[in-house]
Amino acid sequence: MKRPIAFSGWLLLLPWIAIFLVFWFFPLIYSFILSLTNYRLLAADTQWVGWANYARLLADPDFLISLANTAIFVVGTVPVTTVISLGLALLVNGRFPGRAIFRAAYFLPSITAMVVIALIFSNLYARDGYLYLLARLIGLNPPAEGFLLSEKTALLSIMAMDVWTAAGYYMLVFLGGLQTIPDELYDAARIAGASRWQQFWHVTLPMLRPVMLFVIVINSIKSFQVFVEIFVMTKGGPLNATLTGVYFVYETGLRRFDFGYASAAAYVIFLIIALISIVQFKFLKTGWTA
Amino acid sequence: MNPIKRIGGYVLLTALLVVMVFPLVWMFVTSFTGTRGGVTLANYVYIFSTNKFGLYLFNSTLVAVIVTVANVLFCFTCGYALARRMVPGGNFWFYTILIVLMVPVHIVIIPVYLLMNKIGLYDSYGALILPWLVNPIGIFMVRQYVSTLPVSLEEAGRIDGAGELRILFRIVMPLCRPVLAILAIQVFMTNWNSFLYPFILTSSEQYRTLPVALALLLGYQSIDWPQLMAGSVVAVVPVLAVFLAFQRQIISGITAGALKQ
Repeated sequence: MKRPIAFSGWLLLLPWIAIFLVFWFFPLIYSFILSLTNYRLLAADTQWVGWANYARLLADPDFLISLANTAIFVVGTVPVTTVISLGLALLVNGRFPGRAIFRAAYFLPSITAMVVIALIFSNLYARDGYLYLLARLIGLNPPAEGFLLSEKTALLSIMAMDVWTAAGYYMLVFLGGLQTIPDELYDAARIAGASRWQQFWHVTLPMLRPVMLFVIVINSIKSFQVFVEIFVMTKGGPLNATLTGVYFVYETGLRRFDFGYASAAAYVIFLIIALISIVQFKFLKTGWTA
Repeated sequence: MNPIKRIGGYVLLTALLVVMVFPLVWMFVTSFTGTRGGVTLANYVYIFSTNKFGLYLFNSTLVAVIVTVANVLFCFTCGYALARRMVPGGNFWFYTILIVLMVPVHIVIIPVYLLMNKIGLYDSYGALILPWLVNPIGIFMVRQYVSTLPVSLEEAGRIDGAGELRILFRIVMPLCRPVLAILAIQVFMTNWNSFLYPFILTSSEQYRTLPVALALLLGYQSIDWPQLMAGSVVAVVPVLAVFLAFQRQIISGITAGALKQ
């Protein structure tokens, strides 16, 4: 019998090989090379500067603020989104009439373009927007200029919007996890006299650990790259209050065309993301037993 | 369950539904609101006549359709080649897929921007389409799916004297229809909604897609919310239609993804 010849295999895989080399491998390497130069648009000559860009980053208050804001964003949204989406999944997991409608409705924000969501909330958060009026109505004291124009509330407002956007998607991921837990485990727990809370704590949570790992790692990686909502809603302002890492890379590289410096910033953020993913893997794989 | 608990459950579910859906409802309602209140189509007329939303809609559609078709074809061929180990060092190429899945896109945007300028594709349909002809998640999905198919069908085809291409497209591809359907839906929705690459790789109005047009509209004009929301509706409706048509596949696609973890 004729074996499939290697030639046709290469031909079949060619699209990926080409896209991988041109749009991923080359940029990944080139980005690092750029980060060691002072390459910028219309500069007289480009020189190797070694690690100078990295040293400059560590002393650049804007970059440090962007890292701090990104950290606040990730630490503030990922756990909240995880808890809320797990709660939603538990709510819609049962067999009750209309559950498909609730699942679909909670998932709707996840399929909506981030640009559109950012536009909608730009209005809702504005001084005459519904969320602003609602905040006044329930006795909160929202900043006079609107949520997005105040240093105190801009980042928090975008974080809240992000939780709202992402919750439905992770709800479905958790739902998939919940459906893999065999009923016998719950039966056994009930027979042993476990309350619903104990069942959740000792059956559901431990069984969901792999899904939880997936949700936390993926959501962290995504949240570290927050960009679109910042671009549409605040452009990093007011006074750098919403300047995040990737927005810093965009500003430096593609608005000020300081390619070398921006590439160094991109690499620092990349390393932080990689490190945190590894830590999350280690911690959630071995360290957490319910 | 007792009736009070049941009613309480529905009240909670409905309250959450209002929270999740309200902003989208607000978008629809605002888009039909006239300057002095009342229901009007004037906002839509305006964005299609004064702003070039017809062009943006065309661009978004063209790019999303080409990218979707290309992904179905290429993710299929690549996933198949990897599943059947047709290439020496197949594991190496499989790992490239897993690695790219973990690489944040911000790290490659500057080199890709420079590259597109260098090869003269900056600000063209090529820039919008080329980077996304095939995607790692799609290849991964097809590879996993083909791995579960028995090789015997392909071998039977070979014994009958069918050529490799015939086996690939007449025997294997139809079997992969479920995974290719989910793939097509996901690629279409992701590409339709995408902002970052179209935004940094184009500059002229001629190649502007809907998300880019909407984002720029907020920045450069005095804000007219009803018009912006009419534009948003134009950007949301196709995805919403796809979602409503393929709800079951989309939802089970995501939940099934979690089963494999």
